[in-house]
Amino acid sequence: MRTTLGLSWRLLRGGGRNGLLGAGLTLAAVAVSTALLLFAVAVNLAFQGRSDREAWRTPVRAAEGTATAVQAVHQDFVRDRVIVVVDVARLSEGAPAPAGMRAFPKPGEVWMSPGLAELVKRLPPGQLGDRYGKPAGILGDDALVYPGELVAVAGHDRDDPAMKATGRVIPNGSSVPPTPVRDFAGQESMNGMVYRSLAIIASVLMVVPLLVFGGAAARLTVARRDQRLAALRLVGATPAQVIAMTVAEAMLTALGGALAGLAAYAALSPLLSGIEIGGGPWFASDLWPGVLPTLGVIAAVPLLVGVSAVVGLRRVVVSPLGVAKRETPPGMRALRLVGFVAALAVVPMLSRDTSAGIIAVVIGAAFLAINLIGPWVVGIIGRVAARTARGPARLLAARRLVDDPRAAWRTVSGVALTGFVAGFIGLASPDATLFETGTADRLRLSVDAGKAQATVREAKARLREAGLDARVTLDEPGDGPGGPADRDRERLIQISVNGGVDRVDTARTALAGLVPGHVPSTLADDDRVSSYMLGDIRTGTVVVLTVSFLIAIVSAGITAASSVLDRRQTYALLRLAGTPLAILDRARRSETLIPLLVMGGGSLATGVFCALPFASGGLGSTTGVVTLAVTVALGLAGVLGASAISRPLLRSVTANPAPRPD
Amino acid sequence: MAEIVLSGHGLTKSFGSAVALAGVDLAVAPGEALAIMGPSGSGKSTLLHCLAGIMKPDQGEVRLLGQRIDTMGERQRSELRRTRFGFVFQFGQLLPELPAEENVALPLMLGGASRGKAVEAARRWFGPLGLAGMESRRPGELSGGQAQRVAIARALVTKPAVVFADEPTGALDQATGHDTMRLLVEATKHNHASLIVVTHDPNVARWCDRTVEVRDGRLLVPAAAGAPLPGREPNGGPYGGPARPYAANAGPAEPYGGDRPVAGPGRGADTQDFPVVRP
Repeated sequence: MRTTLGLSWRLLRGGGRNGLLGAGLTLAAVAVSTALLLFAVAVNLAFQGRSDREAWRTPVRAAEGTATAVQAVHQDFVRDRVIVVVDVARLSEGAPAPAGMRAFPKPGEVWMSPGLAELVKRLPPGQLGDRYGKPAGILGDDALVYPGELVAVAGHDRDDPAMKATGRVIPNGSSVPPTPVRDFAGQESMNGMVYRSLAIIASVLMVVPLLVFGGAAARLTVARRDQRLAALRLVGATPAQVIAMTVAEAMLTALGGALAGLAAYAALSPLLSGIEIGGGPWFASDLWPGVLPTLGVIAAVPLLVGVSAVVGLRRVVVSPLGVAKRETPPGMRALRLVGFVAALAVVPMLSRDTSAGIIAVVIGAAFLAINLIGPWVVGIIGRVAARTARGPARLLAARRLVDDPRAAWRTVSGVALTGFVAGFIGLASPDATLFETGTADRLRLSVDAGKAQATVREAKARLREAGLDARVTLDEPGDGPGGPADRDRERLIQISVNGGVDRVDTARTALAGLVPGHVPSTLADDDRVSSYMLGDIRTGTVVVLTVSFLIAIVSAGITAASSVLDRRQTYALLRLAGTPLAILDRARRSETLIPLLVMGGGSLATGVFCALPFASGGLGSTTGVVTLAVTVALGLAGVLGASAISRPLLRSVTANPAPRPD
Repeated sequence: MAEIVLSGHGLTKSFGSAVALAGVDLAVAPGEALAIMGPSGSGKSTLLHCLAGIMKPDQGEVRLLGQRIDTMGERQRSELRRTRFGFVFQFGQLLPELPAEENVALPLMLGGASRGKAVEAARRWFGPLGLAGMESRRPGELSGGQAQRVAIARALVTKPAVVFADEPTGALDQATGHDTMRLLVEATKHNHASLIVVTHDPNVARWCDRTVEVRDGRLLVPAAAGAPLPGREPNGGPYGGPARPYAANAGPAEPYGGDRPVAGPGRGADTQDFPVVRP
């Protein structure tokens, strides 16, 4: 074993410039894969972390007689931001302190998150600070979803009206009426669960092309070693030795790549933590996947590369002559088509109510099915193109597609799979028009029907005292927000404030506590969390598409370069015989572009199909169309760019004046 | 002095401090088959590369039909190599994914011929070269000798003035190498092309009309076109003697004996046997 390792190491180092270049390409590919894989893992853990830190704000009703405190949650607003206000009152001495606090807040005390404390200092008290009691402390990070989040924990007496209020329950879980609790462990909010589900789907969309890419990278190492290993085999190395050497070599390279990827991820994570989701960025620790998952990824990547190498080597090991003779690889059967159709057949059975896990599995399967059918389709395209080709460049490209559809697919698979992502997200993204932007100067406050007139009078008085030019009206019964059931119980007070956002915030402050458990809000405020979600889906789309494109373009570049390296002798000899470099280059470009157009279009359509059960915005949604158009444009530009990058390589290998076989 | 197709005069070439050519004069007559021999590192491949316009000599000049080619730009030389020269290398020159006939047709297509015409023209080479039935096989499905014959067809399909062959039999066994050389020489002469073969193998050189030897970047005996070196008289090949059946393109005489694989049934020894599509 030591001899084998030693020999592998010497072969790796002694591979010459081209050998090193090949190893370098693999290393780069593995590094990119590892960094992105760490990101995909971290994303899930990061959302889990947010969910965990947010859980204390979703109270769990205590069993009869076990309650130690009462907890209520509502949202308040300042400017265009949400403040999460948690009202608590102690029922017994045994009540534990809520998350991020050293002690249970006394009645009249308020604990603020660092972000809110700073904002209170910055804004005039009449606009924000006066809404709350005496600041008593700063909330720790473990109580916050993201750095800079605005959170206030207000202590109350157990008989305070705020702790008795019958508030509306907002379905996304951001508002909870007073609830007796035993402790502040809480549970995951609806919002948290939705985000985690989306994160899982995003990970699947990122990891599948990563795996395909990783496999391609591993096979790249093997392809470059084929000849030499066949030679080793011919001089009598046992299959076990050949396998051990290849695996050792591939894994050594992959380990280097994995460590480089870890370094790259560490370097990039400050940048990544600035991505705003759910209203804010991330704690640095959110994007650190933790020691065990990191070690897992660093160990798994070389292992996967090793396995992929063994699979790629089977041919050589089984028959020493196989590679030397350059036999035609066995054709692929239409059975692949059956697999593809079968995977897609499940999609229409999904709906918005299907659990995220199942959706992720089905989408992952459909995604992999594209990868299954890809080489087969590329082969067919090649045969059609070969029949119809007129010029030499097109003919060369078509023959190459027929000869090795798998290799051609590897070059374009990344971009084609991105087409799936774009098609899926393009259709599944909700349309912006679903949400209210409303008039920003009209506050609404719901109130018990019986207290409506008194509340209006009080509101007018408070607003006058605050020096505001405001008009207060009471909606007719039946206009209540809760529909017919609320008609008799609730009325809606409309407050129109002139003079801009700071006046609106002054009005909010003046009206704070007017109706216990309720704050005045605009229509836009009410949709704030939902529109965060819309923005987040857009951000997520951009992130996933960026990752996909990164994979796609790096993989297109690497496979293009390795294809030049693998065929350097033939290219060099053709060039010597007077073949213009431009023809070879055009052939290489067609060889990528033809399958890219067909498969990119096909997988985009598949993505759209898979998104149909979840479509909300409709096909005409602007966001979707723009996403698709940008994706297509970037895909083409990226692949052309990647192919252009390997052009100097083509020039250099063909400029070799002594084209003797090496 | 005989007519000259290709000539090199005072050629020198160095790679760093290593001198590959130290002043070489060489000329090739039309239809002549010239062998350049020499041990490894003698500069024979560099000489071929300079003559073929692949490399520019440091000094000296190369002329094709009186026109200097060493001063041309890369694009022009590339065009020249594609249209006026043919190349046969040791191996690896055929595109593995192209069927044999398309490999042969490729230079014609690069010259602008339509695919149909180019393939049709290419196919006509298969019979005379003993490759009938191999048209749609791919290089991986051909034997080494067959692949070299496809390469010969590809080198000749554009009707070049000069065919350059760099160790054309280097990867073949002796018997196959023998057959390949015979076909190369016959087919080249048949097309009135000159042939320059670089080899270290005397058995290969024997097929040529004339042999020059390179040592340390110089010709051992400077030789003029058409003047065989004393003591280097070709002695084993069918065209070694002064009565060369194809040298003068001797009319309708049947060029190939029945046992010769190049025999085109009922064909004359004119260029119709190896038809050429010119764009």
